[in-house]
Amino acid sequence: MKALDELVNPRSGEAGLELAPAERPAPSPRKDGQRPYPGALVVVEGIDGSGKSTQLYLLKRWLEIGGYRLHFTEWNSSELVKSATKRGKQRRLLTPVTFSLLHAADFADRCERQILPLLHSGYLVLADRYIYTAFARDTARGCANAWLRNLYRFAPIPDITFYFRAPLEVAVNRILSGRPKLKYYEAGMDLGLSFDRAESFRIFQGMIMEQYDRMTETDNFVVMDGTLKVNRLQKKMREIAEERVDLDRFRPGKKA
Amino acid sequence: MRRNGKHSGGRAGRANGSPAGGLGRFFGTPLPGLHEEEWAGSLIVLEGSDGSGRSTQIALLTEWLESEGFAVQTMGLRRSSLVAEDIDDLLANNAVTRMTLALMYATDFYDQLEHRIVPALRSGMLVLADRYIFTLIARAVVRGIDREYLHGLYEMALRPDITFWLNVRPEVTFEREFKKSHAISYWEAGRDMSLSSDLYQSFIRYQGMVKKEFEILARRHHFVEVDGERSVAEVNGDLRAQIAARLGIRSTRFRPASARAPLWR
Repeated sequence: MKALDELVNPRSGEAGLELAPAERPAPSPRKDGQRPYPGALVVVEGIDGSGKSTQLYLLKRWLEIGGYRLHFTEWNSSELVKSATKRGKQRRLLTPVTFSLLHAADFADRCERQILPLLHSGYLVLADRYIYTAFARDTARGCANAWLRNLYRFAPIPDITFYFRAPLEVAVNRILSGRPKLKYYEAGMDLGLSFDRAESFRIFQGMIMEQYDRMTETDNFVVMDGTLKVNRLQKKMREIAEERVDLDRFRPGKKA
Repeated sequence: MRRNGKHSGGRAGRANGSPAGGLGRFFGTPLPGLHEEEWAGSLIVLEGSDGSGRSTQIALLTEWLESEGFAVQTMGLRRSSLVAEDIDDLLANNAVTRMTLALMYATDFYDQLEHRIVPALRSGMLVLADRYIFTLIARAVVRGIDREYLHGLYEMALRPDITFWLNVRPEVTFEREFKKSHAISYWEAGRDMSLSSDLYQSFIRYQGMVKKEFEILARRHHFVEVDGERSVAEVNGDLRAQIAARLGIRSTRFRPASARAPLWR
């Protein structure tokens, strides 16, 4: 519950719901130890076909085999709002704003019921895509960046954000060669970029990648070269994980 | 009737343009794909707790405005085609966290705003909102969600031309609601907040907290506060007088058709 004086004295000015974007606390990374929980959060980001899921899977297997206390979570996996998202997509009712809000509602459910409680109880949480997926994709769709940053203000800041980056053509061709049926929103058809789904997908992925690139500095991404061999990339990922997170505290027998 | 804030002078005859003097159509950033433009329609909001007489007044106002030749579109909470049913399910199961619920309500609101309200206003219709973002903000704030977070969330909402607040004491709404349905709902009594095991106490405390938040919103957004404890006809007369002044309607005389006539006694 908010403190009483904050309830009575709203901070922002006259008749405005708006906040100056600069005043909004951007989810910038904090130094280790300043987090209000003993757990750690490691996330992977990148466009489709950048190799991020494969790499996170291998990291997870390595830690699982070592007996580490961990939990794996995916973007867009909550049961709670699945029916709404499905209905909206099937009937093509979603606008950039409602598309964004539904995913935020879905994420909020996962965040409040899984991610935060697990971080508080001392788990290492691995996330395949995180809020940066929303920032990149929804900004590409036309939502205001400041609005999106505010929307996800409740999300804990990752300890490491691995950004898997492969040239657009490489990533897109990995997807298009293996999975020819692209869904309407997935291909960005709602943006009217092209009548051809594959072409629309290509353009849309390029727009998303541009947004990811912009966040590299501001959100402290660790850029991973998605064109490297899988095992070499994984070796690197493990080294960085060990270096940036005190993995020892998630080992079997250790208390949070 | 009391007018909050400083925009208290009636600006009769203005039926279009930006709502509150000098401020934009939107509270903050416009909706994607839209920009500030002149719309012929007007947005009139009625806020007030359950049992404040809101729905009755909306029905009467619709009848009056239609008799005056205005095309009326209504909106309200949980009425979007996108997520209304899903919110009903979430509320029924009360397994939902406060943030998810707040965001589902935001989805419901923006779906109606984009698909119903904006097109209606553009085509010159009069939109009557049976509750608006203010209820959503107040409910979430009393549940501990940051006020500025919520204001940011709703910055793409349209600024109403008039926001009426039907102010009724919780003790009175309790009686009215109980008479109507012989029960008080879980959410109306704020039972998710563990305020009291006694239903009446829980209801009074919860509605009191929401009301306090409304007082803050009323100052910030210049609500027209209406004493909702008076008769239906008296309250309606006040609302008609204000709306008539805004829209340039000369006559505020009105008698409801036979179906609603009993309300007038």
